[in-house]
Amino acid sequence: MSDIIKQKIWDIIASNTSAAEAGWLQQKVALAPGAVAPIELMTAFVAASRFLSKKIITTSEAEKAALNLEIPGFSVDGWSLVRLGRVWLLTQLDPSDKEEYVKNIETLFDTAEMNELVALYSALPLLSYPDQWLFRATDAVRSNMGFVFDAIALHNPYPEKHFSELAWNQLVLKTIFNDKPIHLIEGLENRTNEKLAVTLSDFAHERWAAGRSVPAQVWRLTGKYLNSALLADMQHLFDSDQEDDRKAAALACGDASLPAANYLLAKYTDLEKSVKSGALTWADLEH
Amino acid sequence: MCLNHNELAQNPSHFEDSEEANQAPAHRDIAWNDYKDLIKGMRFFDPHIHMVSRTTDDYQAMNQAGIVALIEPAFWVGQPRTGLSTFKDYYSSLVGWERFRSSQFGIKHYCTMGLNSREANNEPLAEQVMEILPLYIYKEGVVGVGEIGFDDQTPAEEKYYRLQLELAKEAKLPVQIHTPHRDKKKGTERSMAIALEHGIDPSWVIVDHNNEETVKSVLDQGFYAAFTIYPFTKMGNERMVKVVEQYGPERIMINSAADWGISDPLAIPKTAALMKMRGIPDETIRLVTYQNAIDAFGQSGQIDVTDFESGYAVDQTEKFHGNSILRGGQQPAPVKDFLVIN
Repeated sequence: MSDIIKQKIWDIIASNTSAAEAGWLQQKVALAPGAVAPIELMTAFVAASRFLSKKIITTSEAEKAALNLEIPGFSVDGWSLVRLGRVWLLTQLDPSDKEEYVKNIETLFDTAEMNELVALYSALPLLSYPDQWLFRATDAVRSNMGFVFDAIALHNPYPEKHFSELAWNQLVLKTIFNDKPIHLIEGLENRTNEKLAVTLSDFAHERWAAGRSVPAQVWRLTGKYLNSALLADMQHLFDSDQEDDRKAAALACGDASLPAANYLLAKYTDLEKSVKSGALTWADLEH
Repeated sequence: MCLNHNELAQNPSHFEDSEEANQAPAHRDIAWNDYKDLIKGMRFFDPHIHMVSRTTDDYQAMNQAGIVALIEPAFWVGQPRTGLSTFKDYYSSLVGWERFRSSQFGIKHYCTMGLNSREANNEPLAEQVMEILPLYIYKEGVVGVGEIGFDDQTPAEEKYYRLQLELAKEAKLPVQIHTPHRDKKKGTERSMAIALEHGIDPSWVIVDHNNEETVKSVLDQGFYAAFTIYPFTKMGNERMVKVVEQYGPERIMINSAADWGISDPLAIPKTAALMKMRGIPDETIRLVTYQNAIDAFGQSGQIDVTDFESGYAVDQTEKFHGNSILRGGQQPAPVKDFLVIN
């Protein structure tokens, strides 16, 4: 990991801490890099909640842009100071001895309580040896862990870069299943795929059979992969009494290259016009 | 039923002239309906109870009886552990699932973390536990290092007791000392002497499981003296009342230490009721069943009484790691008012 990102995170910490809080953090890493015993940093990671405020930090647009420039998609918006402090402490662990480094991070995972897990998953895009954390990351998705799930699924660029297609699709489906906003998943557009689109159709059928609804914006994952089965779903949406469903069908058909989708859309003149003119976009359905 | 034994003794009715009739009910003879009025409006803090071994019924009964908060010390689960992982899982449950479960029954849950004295005797495992212990003692809601001290009073127990005293000192956490069942007097004195030798302020040390033999020395040396009301083996609560009568409320606290043995999670409210019957002032009862524990363990900086002093709000629809205490299809409490139980 670059020293630049450490510095940029520190800049945000510095503008959100009292002198005592900043002093405590600096004292924990005061010795030359590598000279701090890992257990000191690990203990500080745990103890952070005793020494740092739980208030939500504020970041300037420039700071946000700077972070994003270093690691695209990485964001600290809405984090508490404790969470940010913990992530910064993790960046101070010396990665030069891989075995030792992995063992220390694994130990932190093994012993973590919920807020610590949130910090650990939030830090994944910054950790060295990214492939080493795949099991942890996919496990976080599988185990349905409230805040922890959010930490891996939303505003986190790690899954887009490292998840297999299977794991990625699970993450997206689970986000839908948990009624969380999928547009907060980093890389959502980049990693759409046919299997996901087909699975989504099955999922929607289950929901409809149970008399439940499906959030309209999830159909953004299907446009490029419309087939006859999905086209029938689009018709179902056009027939819905929910305006968002009709908009979603129009947008998905607008994304499609399948001629039948274009014919279908053409039946709904007003919607077709909104889609083609760009007056209606998926962003309108992001709730 | 007699509300004030002293008053009755001074002014017996015609029907209560025998010595037997004048006896206040013993701990095991009074039922909830008999004593709930006596402790109405009181709130209790149990500074030592092992909820991991207890049931949902216990939580519900404790909540009904006025227990608003508790401390669960790390202890021995009843059989030897085979590896570090089981320690990790156990410690994690104390700050995780058990804390959540407690909250679902209206009780604020804190814990103390430590390597139990009995388990110090497996040295290879103890070494590994000591390596990860710092990662637990600093966690939120950990109010002390405990319960530590002596069981068999072996050199290994002493070694890990001393190491943990140093950890507590560094973390600025109170220490909760378990005193041995056998050779208690010597073990208690030794525990205190070692704590003082390590330069620990005795007002940061809670010496547990006291009895009539140990209490004076513990209080005289400036330590907190905790008493465990545990049937048959430790203190009975009639004896406890006498201790409070003799020593007053300063630095004395009562707990149940209820665990997987034959024990009573309502030991504190029952003892409070008994104290009330025996004419002990309300303020004294409040100190020994609530306030002193908060003062002692609150030195950790981890107890915020506003979390529980006006009761503890419960939302049984909340989830922990996506899991609820409610088993498939159960409705959140209260369900008692409804005829149909879904």
